[in-house]
Amino acid sequence: MAASAADVEVVDFEPDDDDLMDEDGAADVDATPAAPSHPKLRSTITGGDLSAGPKKTKGRGFREEATTVAAERNNRFASRDFESLDSDGGPGPQRSIEGWIVLVTGVHEEAQEDDVHNAFREFGQVKNLHLNLDRRTGFVKGYALIEYETFEEALDAIKALNGTELLTQTIYVDWAFSNGPYKRRNARRR
Amino acid sequence: MAGNGMEQDEFYLRYYVGHKGKFGHEFLEFEFRPDGKLRYANNSNYKNDTMIRKEVFVTPAVLRECRRIIAESEIMKEDDNNWPEPDRVGRQELEIVMGNEHISFTTSKIGSLVDVQSSKDPEGLRIFYYLVQV
Repeated sequence: MAASAADVEVVDFEPDDDDLMDEDGAADVDATPAAPSHPKLRSTITGGDLSAGPKKTKGRGFREEATTVAAERNNRFASRDFESLDSDGGPGPQRSIEGWIVLVTGVHEEAQEDDVHNAFREFGQVKNLHLNLDRRTGFVKGYALIEYETFEEALDAIKALNGTELLTQTIYVDWAFSNGPYKRRNARRR
Repeated sequence: MAGNGMEQDEFYLRYYVGHKGKFGHEFLEFEFRPDGKLRYANNSNYKNDTMIRKEVFVTPAVLRECRRIIAESEIMKEDDNNWPEPDRVGRQELEIVMGNEHISFTTSKIGSLVDVQSSKDPEGLRIFYYLVQV
């Protein structure tokens, strides 16, 4: 088992996410010969999950771990230069490029854009509204993304509409993006 | 928000679709990590384009919705054993960790439902086909 190597990564996962990316590169080199049957992806991906016990695995992806395909896969996300908007890394919502994005869940499958728009326009001009459809059924998938220009408009909508009813279903309204990982936020701010 | 700790462990999702051809390794890939980090990469060498890489943190609400969509699709019950293997035309990968299950499926690109119907596992492949279009 690669449990010991994995444990180290689990520990590093929490205090600083940037370290994680370094670990990715190192693990490519170290973990493969030591544990060919134990996909290294798992240790980085699932973070603390390994301590919860082994998982049932299924799929051809696991049988490719020693191949060039797997090496490529591990490299694609190993790079550090992912673009992101400036963030203070603290808790709280993150602004998107042009505004503040709100996620609505529990949207009735027969809802129309108008229904959602009418409910949310009350708090400010809705600059963008996505109401995605299930490609198989043609019905609404169950969520909507709404963009407001200002933080206050978005916050007002969240406060007023979260937990309310739209077309007989309870909808939940919350921010879509945040400034940082929410895992153990309190511990990180010690 | 209550219940963060319980909800946020045990979820990871990665999707890749790509091929290698005239314009190099062209692909699109994204992943949701357990701590909410969403990463997106899109590469093509067409007209000397360079790789687009973005990352952002999503809220627990977004992860919950992803999780709901995955659970309701029942993709975790499927198996890629009888799906078409990746080929020169292209490759798709879907990796999900949810609960105590971890799937890592691969298959070829799927042009249309005709490819699904003519496969050896139309029921399973149909679930995949529609899930990745969400």
